[in-house]
Amino acid sequence: MIYLDSAATTLQKPPAVVRAASYAMNHLASPGRGGHWPAMQAAETVFACRQEAAELFHADDPEQVVLTFNATHALNLAIKSLVRPGDTVLISSYEHNAVTRPLYALGANIRVAAGPLFHPAAMLDAFEAKLTPEIQCVVCTHVSNVFGYILPIQEIAALCRSCGVPLIVDASQSAGCLPVHLKELGAAFIAMPGHKGLYGPQGTGLLLCNRETVPLLEGGTGSRSADQAMPDFLPDRLEAGTHNVPGAAGLLAGLRFVKAKGLDHILEGERALTIQAARGLSSLPGVTVYAAKNPVCQAGVLSFSLDGMDCEVAGEALGEREIAVRAGLHCAPLAHKAAGTFETGTIRASFSAFNHSAEVGRLVWEVTRLAGRR
Amino acid sequence: MVYYLIICRSLTYAQRTAAALERAGITAHILRAPKVVDQAGCSHAVKVSERRLADALLVLSRVGLSPKRVYVMSSDGSYKEVLL
Repeated sequence: MIYLDSAATTLQKPPAVVRAASYAMNHLASPGRGGHWPAMQAAETVFACRQEAAELFHADDPEQVVLTFNATHALNLAIKSLVRPGDTVLISSYEHNAVTRPLYALGANIRVAAGPLFHPAAMLDAFEAKLTPEIQCVVCTHVSNVFGYILPIQEIAALCRSCGVPLIVDASQSAGCLPVHLKELGAAFIAMPGHKGLYGPQGTGLLLCNRETVPLLEGGTGSRSADQAMPDFLPDRLEAGTHNVPGAAGLLAGLRFVKAKGLDHILEGERALTIQAARGLSSLPGVTVYAAKNPVCQAGVLSFSLDGMDCEVAGEALGEREIAVRAGLHCAPLAHKAAGTFETGTIRASFSAFNHSAEVGRLVWEVTRLAGRR
Repeated sequence: MVYYLIICRSLTYAQRTAAALERAGITAHILRAPKVVDQAGCSHAVKVSERRLADALLVLSRVGLSPKRVYVMSSDGSYKEVLL
């Protein structure tokens, strides 16, 4: 199987990730729930994970790093800490349902800064125009999960800082391949999964916190047990219940893998594959490819469609040919509306540090065969 | 042997405290705080030797980590709060 669905989850993990998760399952207990060796070792592992993340994402201290189940959990924590029912919130036109559904559920007044694909200047203009005094919060993805479009997050963050509006960044597709800098962005929160570009196990995510928080869950934290109110300090405030210790152990190994390989190197590799795929697929008649003219606007995610063939049928057919891609709306209807692909959906190929050029060649070859079969 | 317990608000805070001390060459050991010294329950403490407390407090103040409280464990096993 050629796995090209890393924007959902990276399937190939560094061997150290598997070893660490397995070791944790066999040897580590629950941090803060005992003074014995298995609990204290678990605490050490979880703390090392926070430290590694704080270093990679430039948080001042490891207490700002909250372990979550995934990016959706992290985004819910961030959004529900900052947004009250009726608040006016500005989002980009490339947001995932993990952003829009919590806002919708809260009854927020959602405004959208819309701009064409791969046009960062237009996106920035849209944010400038829409960031009016009634906006109480901005939520923006760093990279579109459908198109790999890199939004001008530094400039959007600067705009938010100049207006004193808190910013939540969804780093689901950028963590592990682009610099994500909590201090420089001055974001209120940055949410990310552990199981995509950070190569951790599924069921892991991170929330980097720069603001007061509101818990989603209440329960035991292994601290201030006599008090019925949740602790007022991080990370305990947002981490009720037993930790996913095997997940944190695997995520720690994943973070170390990313650090050792280097963000630039990972991005360079994924971008080269994206360019190769875009060139190959664009040369085929009846194939529409959504690729940036300027490659610096795109990370390792590429959408395309085949004229006259349903995207799900094409995705299924590629699966039968041992190529794993994802088709449909990718939980991001807003992004598809922005790009004009809402009615048809797209087929998405997304890359990781474990993919190589021959796999992209095979993708192009199989799409050529599919396109010829119509 | 007499030693000091630096009581911390959370396990993560205790880990930050211990890490800062270890970086400064001060041996620091994390343990669950005895119930008698922290009625809030389930606290963690960092244990340092008697002769390193002053250095430890200096290091912690330099890195902006403030102990919740400090106790000295006497030779009879009782704990006495140290007024900072």
